[in-house]
Formats: sequence, C-alpha cells, structure tokens
Amino acid sequence: MMDDDTIVCRCEEVTVGQIRQAIREGAADVTGVKRRTRAGMGLCQGRTCEKIVMRILAQELGKPLSEFAPATVRPPVQPITFGLLAEGTDG
Amino acid sequence: MASAADVIVVGGGVIGSAIAYYLSQEGTKVALVERGDVASGTSSACDGNILVIDKMPGYDSQLALKSQELLAELVESLDYDLEYAQRGSVLVVEDEKQAQVARDWFTRQKDAGLPMRYLEGKEVFEDEPLLAHDMVGLVECASDASLNPMAFVYGLISGARRAGAMIHPFTEVTGFLQDSTGVVRGVETTHGTISADKVVLAAGVWTPGLAATVGVNVPIKPRKGHILVAERSPHPARRKVQEFGYLLAKFGGTEGRSVEPDMDRYGVAMVFEPTEHGNFLIGSSREFVGFDQRCNHHVLELMARRALRFFPTIRDIRVIRTYAGLRPYTPDHLPIVSPVPTVPGLYIAAGHEGDGIGLAPITGRLIAQMIVGEPTAVATEPLRIDRFVNKEHKGE
Repeated sequence: MMDDDTIVCRCEEVTVGQIRQAIREGAADVTGVKRRTRAGMGLCQGRTCEKIVMRILAQELGKPLSEFAPATVRPPVQPITFGLLAEGTDG
Repeated sequence: MASAADVIVVGGGVIGSAIAYYLSQEGTKVALVERGDVASGTSSACDGNILVIDKMPGYDSQLALKSQELLAELVESLDYDLEYAQRGSVLVVEDEKQAQVARDWFTRQKDAGLPMRYLEGKEVFEDEPLLAHDMVGLVECASDASLNPMAFVYGLISGARRAGAMIHPFTEVTGFLQDSTGVVRGVETTHGTISADKVVLAAGVWTPGLAATVGVNVPIKPRKGHILVAERSPHPARRKVQEFGYLLAKFGGTEGRSVEPDMDRYGVAMVFEPTEHGNFLIGSSREFVGFDQRCNHHVLELMARRALRFFPTIRDIRVIRTYAGLRPYTPDHLPIVSPVPTVPGLYIAAGHEGDGIGLAPITGRLIAQMIVGEPTAVATEPLRIDRFVNKEHKGE
C-alpha cells in the first residue's frame, strides 16, 4: 500500500493522496484523474506515472488492472519547439 | 432504477453544470445526466476565457459583461480553486489598415461603458515588451479573466451536489418521456427512468441529435478548434493576447490580413493564454469537419507559424501537447437559451461556440430564472430558438 504523500507524477508533483481524492470525487479512468489532478499533464505526458495511476485506480475502485487503458495519446510524440513545428513539413 | 426530480439537466459540461448549480441554489430538485465523466467533452478541450473584448458591441458584449459579474461571485461562493485570474486581455493590431477597424471597435465598446483602453506606438512595447516590433496597437479590456475550465465544472458540480442535486455520470439518455399531449415527463437512461416536468438539453454539439428525437430542429454544428500547450516556461506576455484578426476569423471574413491562404481556410488566428501552472496555451483554428476530433498536423504547423509572427521569442519553447475540441456553432454567433415552444417542459441551453466557459454563469442563471418563473437578469429574446424558424441559415 503506497503512502498518501508519495509523489506519483514527478513532472507535476502529484501525490498518491491527491489521486485517491480525485477518485473519491468521481474520476473513473486515467483521463479523469489527469483532468482533476494534472497527473500526466507535464513534460513527459504520463510516460512515468500512467501505469501507477492505473494501479491506484484498480485498487481504489476494486477492479482488475486490465479494465484500465492509458489516456488518449495526443501529438506531438515528443516535445517539439514552436520553431521546428512552424518550419514543418509544408512550411 | 427509477427516480424523480423537478428538473433534469442533460449534459455535464460547463453549461449543464452551471444550470444544475443555479437551479439547486433556488431549492429546485435537480438530476444531472451525463453520458461520460463530467467535463469530458468540449469543456475539457478548450481554453478558459471569460472575455468581453471579443464580443460584438451591444447585446453580445452586455451578456458577457453580466456573466463576468456572476463569475466573480462564483469564485467567492464555490468552495473550489478555479485558478481564476482577472488580469484583463488585449487585442494586438498588426498594421495601420487594421488599426482603423480596431479604433472603431474600441470606441464602440468604450461608449457602451466597457473598461477599455487603446495603446499605440511606444506604449504597446512598454505594456507587452516581447511582442514583435512591428505591432502598431493594443486594445485592452480590464475586466477580462481566465480560469481552469475543468476546475470550473468540478466546482459547479460539487456546489450543486452540496445543494442537493443528484449527479449521474456515465449515464446516457436513450429517450424522452412525453404525455399524450406531448408535454415532457422525464427521460429514459441507460440506468433507468427519471421523471420530471422539465428537461434542459445542455449537450453542446450533441444537442441536435437529442432534440431531433422529439422533432425539434436545432441549428448547431460542430466546429473544430485546435490548441497547442507549451511547457512551463517564461511567458511572452503577462495576460491574454489575441490578434485583432481573431475577431475577423470569429465573425467570418478574414479579409484584411496578409497571411498564407491556408491560415484563412482553417480560420487560424493567434490566441495566447497564460495558465496558473506556468504553461501557456496557443490557439486558434476553426473548421467544419463533422465530429472528427483528431488533430490535423497541418493546422498545428500553421498555428505555430502564426504564433511566431506575434511572439518571435517563443521559438525555442517546446510544445508538449495538442488537442482539438468541437465548439457548438450557431449561424448568428449567439447561443440558444430558450424554452422549446413545440415541446412544453423542454428547454435548450447550447450553441455557445467558443464562449461557453465565459457565458456559463449567465446561461445557468437565465435557465434557472425561466424555470422558477422569475424575471430574467437580461432580455432573452435574442437567445430564443424560434429566431431561426423560417430563416434559411447557411453555414460559413
């Protein structure tokens, strides 16, 4: 059992306790947790924390881990500067 | 499961949540039904503007101003951190030709009593030093504000719940109950029947599909808009900045800008919004592509190019995420906040396009006043659904 003070999302410094609170408020999946806590909204876009968030969801909601999918993948695949994006493929 | 309420609100985005909040404050028994999580559609794929500056002078801007006043009260009364910041906002003017239109816009808004200023020449760069050096003017509205739209929904929902509202997420409406004369008696859902004498459709771009099942034609179309999210970084401006050409893109007719043709084609206009967490958002685009919510990479490139036109210093800042949302467009750019004359007991509150976050407070208040039978805070004639009857509106 993880401690409430443990940081799960390192980019946005979101703790286990905050994620549990979000689930109590109605978050039912990774995206619901993300919208309520910012977990997964930082520079790494959930690469580090997403699995752990899924595990906390499974524990708190008493469901098998296999019922939880990763959040919707949003471009870019990796962070890209405004300058490079503006040059683009058609710029 | 069968249950009963005074009013059923269909839709758990910002509009439905505001309606549920204001109705529950009046002591009305509310049931809110949302097919997904609350704040999971358009209200989670937008920015968080509470603006007067981009409204048409007249009814449109007065409605927005009233909503700003209500929002300031909500910031105090909702027990939730909305990440609200009232820093004002500016429209940036690119050249002398645009400046003539912008000065006229400014004068009309100021004469209507809005807290506006016009800055030109050196004043522009004393105010926002990182703007491109050839900008010629700024129109400022001091009352404009921003917040986190998802936190706003969660705050309204928890306020409504505390006042007794029943919130049913992950529950989809599958049909309407009507008596033999057509009067609304409730809804059927994936989790059972809820009976009520009033039903409010607040389902944004999904409203026409629901309304059609009771024979009501709602002229709302999904209009896709993209947003780029920048990493935490020094901000190139201290508050919301939009290019003056955004107004042209919003109200149709982008003539007057010298931009590559695809920027006009996709309605690309620069919108910058700082967030409370140190990131910033870059908008905007507008296109009619049905319910396709995928990001169009070509449009993202156009938006990055347009942003660099106004803020050359962000060249090396990284974009960490992009998303697109479906804005509920109406042909005359005003929302529908109205009873439905042909179906007694049915109301519609939808069609706010890019103004839903800002207009949610006044929309919630107006629907609550209509339902409990109080005089409304502003005239609601321009928001009635029957304004579209017998008029042929062609989309842009």
